[in-house]
Amino acid sequence: MTKPVPDEELMLLVRNGECDMLGVLFDRYQTPLFNFYCKLTGNRAASEDLVQEVFFRILKYRQSYRPGTAFRSWMYQIARNTRLDQARKQRPETELDTELAPPAPPADSAQQEQQAALLHRALLQMPEEKREVLVLSRFQDMKYNEIAQLLGCEVGAVKVRVHRALQELREIYARLERSGAVGEKGFSGAGNVPPRGAGHGM
Amino acid sequence: MECERAEKLLPDYLHGNLGAEQEDAIETHLESCAKCREEVALWKKLGELPQEQPSPALRVRVQAMVNAFQQAQAETSQRASESSRMSPGWAGWRWFRSPAMAVSFTLALLVVGFVAGRYTNSGNTSTTRPDAEIAAMQTELSNMRQLVVLSMLQQQSASGRLQGVTWSTQQPQTDPQILSALLHTLRFDSSVDVRLAAIDALSRHGNQQQVREGLADALQTQQSPLVQLALIDLFVDMKDRNVVGQLQKLQQDAGLNPDVRQRAEWALGKLN
Repeated sequence: MTKPVPDEELMLLVRNGECDMLGVLFDRYQTPLFNFYCKLTGNRAASEDLVQEVFFRILKYRQSYRPGTAFRSWMYQIARNTRLDQARKQRPETELDTELAPPAPPADSAQQEQQAALLHRALLQMPEEKREVLVLSRFQDMKYNEIAQLLGCEVGAVKVRVHRALQELREIYARLERSGAVGEKGFSGAGNVPPRGAGHGM
Repeated sequence: MECERAEKLLPDYLHGNLGAEQEDAIETHLESCAKCREEVALWKKLGELPQEQPSPALRVRVQAMVNAFQQAQAETSQRASESSRMSPGWAGWRWFRSPAMAVSFTLALLVVGFVAGRYTNSGNTSTTRPDAEIAAMQTELSNMRQLVVLSMLQQQSASGRLQGVTWSTQQPQTDPQILSALLHTLRFDSSVDVRLAAIDALSRHGNQQQVREGLADALQTQQSPLVQLALIDLFVDMKDRNVVGQLQKLQQDAGLNPDVRQRAEWALGKLN
């Protein structure tokens, strides 16, 4: 059994011109990144385009990758900036965010399925800034200090943001539950404005 | 514990960062506080949401992008060793390097632009980026998209080429090189499905002379009844009277499929 090569070593190889190695990194991160964008935008096609752009930028900016930097953090920095650029380009009247396929039905009950759908909708109704911090901490398995580094803020501030986001999610979820909104189509795109980026290097 | 204090600890509780004592204190609080309990429950539910899977087409597109990028590099650096060094990561990607001649010529042209863009921007990775550079990067990205479409149209598998045609229609604007590649596909692709998809993609650009001519030309050369029918329907849709002569000629073809002949007749009735 050989140990998997660390991301950082692969990235250094890419940096030194072995672009084929990007394939290994792609296989490792296409699904997490895709999920990051799906949860942020609610749009599968847009999410695939964004993932592709991230890997393009990794190639383009490979010289800016510094040895000793965690590859994942660096990649998410690029991923955030890619989303910011995309959102800036996007015309305001284009509506995003309503196309995410409903979650796969769980084996046991229809109720569980409904709850998952409701939760998805609640998540997408949050302002993207709040949603992002939840997505990072819950779906991307990021530690608070990693998120703090990524967002350019203090660890304490990240925790506060996670808690506020969760509070808001609870409120939206409860509201949707009350209105029995499951299965209804279309909702406001108010939550689709991405957060302001701190640094914007990539 | 009061709610205010519990709230402060909650994020760490969710990530399992607390010591046993604090964890117990939170759990006691949760028993009495519905709000906090609901938040913890939501956190758990979030973790149960299913993972989305990207389509296999994404890999194909990124493969094509990396290949285009490498080709661009190889052409600038002229280092012979570059292209022979192939590592396990993208081992399955070699087949991209068997391009059809016509398409590879366009590809080469694009590569020049791509490399030029890349090199004018290299080294500039500071934290703030002026608008000019963003604009340059947009151009570069759109070049990259062209490269991807062109590479995809050269794949060995028909389903891969089909994806390429489909993807070309999703581009914000289609440039003449992609249109040429699509016309080339319509003319020479061995798969009827891919040719039909190409007709569909080209139909969006029926206002362009190049496309009209290519489609009219295809009417003369295509042998597959399905493709012929799709072309005839398209000409009727576009109300293109210029093809009347070609349709009449087609009708006289002794070996013509009866359905196609009938459709050609119908089309002539519509167009005249």
